[in-house]
Amino acid sequence: MTMPDEGLSPVVRVIAAMLFPFILIFSLYVILHGHLTPGGGFQGGAIGASAVVMLIVAYGARWVESKAGEESVSVLESLGGLMFVVTGLLGFLLAATFLSNFLVGEVLFGEIPTFGSNPGILNTGGTLPLLNIAVGLKVIGGLASVVLIMALGSRRDAA
Amino acid sequence: MRKIAALVFLVFVAFLLYGAYEMRDFGRPPSDMDDYIIENSQNETGANNAVTAVVFDYRGYDTLGEATVLFTAVAGVMAMFRRRDDHA
Amino acid sequence: MWSELIHVVIPVLLVIAALVAILMRDLLASAVALAVMSLLLSLEFYILQAPDVAIAEAGIGACITTAILVIAIKNTRRMEEEA
Repeated sequence: MTMPDEGLSPVVRVIAAMLFPFILIFSLYVILHGHLTPGGGFQGGAIGASAVVMLIVAYGARWVESKAGEESVSVLESLGGLMFVVTGLLGFLLAATFLSNFLVGEVLFGEIPTFGSNPGILNTGGTLPLLNIAVGLKVIGGLASVVLIMALGSRRDAA
Repeated sequence: MRKIAALVFLVFVAFLLYGAYEMRDFGRPPSDMDDYIIENSQNETGANNAVTAVVFDYRGYDTLGEATVLFTAVAGVMAMFRRRDDHA
Repeated sequence: MWSELIHVVIPVLLVIAALVAILMRDLLASAVALAVMSLLLSLEFYILQAPDVAIAEAGIGACITTAILVIAIKNTRRMEEEA
């Protein structure tokens, strides 16, 4: 194949570097507005992981690893899982059962929207925004580290 | 062998087409569960998006299981593709 | 009328893209056809009013799966062998 061994041409690199923050911002928007608009933790995490995958394809896995190794990326994933379980256990301690929505009616994320379809306000949802952020971190870290490890490992075997 | 596979494929396609032909209309038969969620999810969880309310609140255990599946997948890929610099 | 037409056209294109992905001998073109199929599938989910699934399908299927396949093809052969 005529593809360069590591990364792509400068045109692709410049465009990828310009697009990367916007895709990441869109991913954070989908995660943080998961309780108001379509999408949620998994969808936004998939979009954010696709931004990292675009960097891996454009710049090569070695460059991405020099910026953020797969160990630190998979720490993000474990952090998301821990946040999910801790939120569930807080529901167990502060309210009735595991994962019960203990924040409805409280100050943080506690407002209750009017019935029917409305644009919504961000400060609603109880524990749902926290769980969305947890799952979003988990999916970004998980999918990005999977693709990064695959690119690094397969490249070492080929060389 | 190929003829048997083609026969199985044709039977499966016929089954799927029959299933699509006999499919009920959207929302039929009416169930109490979705009516309950449409009526009460905004008051009980405070979220406008009923899908997120179901995924993270009413069916939170399933989401925890999905997170476990993702964690297992990442652990498996790491075990397979881990670079062994100290051995290489 | 237009919405019924699009309900027919998109599944037909979906099947065509899947057939192209199977029949191509160039594996890179096959991976691209698979990405096209995935994108059409997410469009189909969207017009069936399931935007959550559409976003997930567009992110996972059209981007990450294609990247994994391209990385795999880059480290092996590009052409399919004669069976």
